[in-house]
Amino acid sequence: MTTSAKSKASSTPVPEVLFGPKPVPGEKLLPRYTKQVRILHWVTAITWTTLFITGMFLFVPVFGRAAQGGISTLFHHIAAIVVVGWAAVFFVLNLKGSIEGIKFAFKWGMADIKWAMAAVPYYFFGKEDKMPPQEHMNTGQKLWWLIVLGAGALMVITGALMMFFKGVIPQGAFMWAAAFHALGMVALFAMALVHVYLSVFHPKMRGIFWSMVNGMVSAHYAEGHHKKWYDEMMHHEKEAKGKDK
Amino acid sequence: MADKAILYDATKCMGCRGCQVACKEWNDLKAEKTTNRGTIENPPDLSADTWLKMQFFEVGEPQDLKQLFGRRSCMHCTEAACVDVCPTGALYHHELGFVAYDKGKCSGCGYCVEACPFDVPRTSGSIVGIRHANKCVLCQDRITNGHIPACVKSCPPGALSFGDRDELLAAGSARVTQLKSKYPNAVLYGESELGGLHVMYVLQDSPSVYGLPENPKVPISSTVWQDIIRPVGWAAAGVVVLGLGLNYVIAQRKIKLKSKGE
Repeated sequence: MTTSAKSKASSTPVPEVLFGPKPVPGEKLLPRYTKQVRILHWVTAITWTTLFITGMFLFVPVFGRAAQGGISTLFHHIAAIVVVGWAAVFFVLNLKGSIEGIKFAFKWGMADIKWAMAAVPYYFFGKEDKMPPQEHMNTGQKLWWLIVLGAGALMVITGALMMFFKGVIPQGAFMWAAAFHALGMVALFAMALVHVYLSVFHPKMRGIFWSMVNGMVSAHYAEGHHKKWYDEMMHHEKEAKGKDK
Repeated sequence: MADKAILYDATKCMGCRGCQVACKEWNDLKAEKTTNRGTIENPPDLSADTWLKMQFFEVGEPQDLKQLFGRRSCMHCTEAACVDVCPTGALYHHELGFVAYDKGKCSGCGYCVEACPFDVPRTSGSIVGIRHANKCVLCQDRITNGHIPACVKSCPPGALSFGDRDELLAAGSARVTQLKSKYPNAVLYGESELGGLHVMYVLQDSPSVYGLPENPKVPISSTVWQDIIRPVGWAAAGVVVLGLGLNYVIAQRKIKLKSKGE
C-alpha cells in the first residue's frame, strides 16, 4: 500500500502528502469516532498545543522573553479553561460512554503483556505474527489514554491550585504544585510526540489520521489493527441484517 | 569585583522612615492609600510599589516596654530561592553579589513570591496573569554609577551604611561586640545565613523578635523543578525523539521491503 502511495505522490493533494492517503473511494468503511469525540479531540489538540507552547516559555529559559508581560500566561489560562470546560461538557453529554471509556483505561491484563512483547518487532519490522488481536483501542493507545487521564488530572489539580489558590495555599505547596505540573507536562509532551508520530508518520498506520477527521476507518484497516473490535462490528452488522429480514 | 552590601544598625535607627520615602521617590513607586490601623507602621505590607518597609515592635511588659525598629526589604541572598525558581532568568545574581532584576524578562509567573524565605517579592497586575514581579534591586542603577542606594543616602542617624561587604561585616561584628555588654542577645544577622546576605542587620535581640527566620533555608520544592525535572524532561524528550527517529528509519525500510515481497 505504501509503495503505490509513493508512485502516485506527484498527483496526490497536499493534505494527503502531509497526513497520508485517505481511504480509497468505494472502500468499505466502519464508523470509528463520533462527531463529539472528534470535536473533543481537536479542541484538546489545539488547546494542548497552546498550553505546551506557552508553558515552554517557562521551561526553556531562551524563550523567556516570549513570556514577557505575562501575555503567554493569559493564553495559558484561557486554553486551560477552554479544554477543561469542554471536557466537562463532553463528559456530561456522553455520561455512559465516558465512564466506560475511563474504566477501560484501567483494565489491564495478559493481552497487554502480549502486546508489549510483540510491540518492537511489530512497530519496527512490521512482524504481525506475534501481535494478538486488539480491541477498539490497542494497548499502546490505552497507555496514551491512561496518561492523558492521569497526567491530565494532575495538570488540572496542580494548575487550579496555582491559578486560583496562589497566596492561599502555603508557599511550599505552591512550589510542589509547580514541580508536579512540570512533571505532568514532561509525560504528556513525550507521549504526545509518540501519538502524533504514530498517527501521521508510521508506515503501518499512515493515513489513519483521516479517521479523526471523517470519523470513518476502512474495514480493511480495522481488521488488521483492531481485530476484536472489527469482529464485534461485523457481528452487530449481521445481527442488524438478520433483524431486517 | 568585591561584593557590595547594606548594613542596617537597628540600634541606631530612629524610625523616621525617610528611607521608605527615598526608596519610593528614586524608584518612582506609587504611594498607596491606606487606613489607620492603630500603628505608625505604614503601609501594612510590602507590595509591588513598596520595596522597603520599616517595622515597629513593642517588646516586653508595659512597665518596661521596648520599642524596636526593624527593616523589611530584599535581603539579597547568596543562595537565593527566587533566582533558583525564576524560569526566565529575570532574577539573577549581579557581579556585585546582590540579586538583580530585569523586569523586561519577567513573565509574571510569581514563583519568586512563593519561594522567598523572607516573603519579599510581590507581583502586581490582574488576576488573569498580566503582571510583573517587583522587589528592591539595591538601587542597581545608582550603585553601578558610583552612588549609594537611595535609602542609605537618606538615613539621618546613619543607621544604614553601604560599601564592600567584607568591611561592613567587620564593622557590624565590632558593633555587636560593643552591644553585647548591654544586650546579651545582640547579633549580626546575615553573616552566614543563606550563604551570606548582602543586607545585614545589627540587632539588639534575637532575629525572631524582629520577625526574621532564625535559620532561613531554600525550600527543596524550589530547586526540584529546575534542577531535577527540567533535565529529566529534556532527557525524556530526547529519548522519545531519538526512538521515533530510529523507528522511522527502520520501519520505513523494513515495512516497505516486506510489502514489496508480498
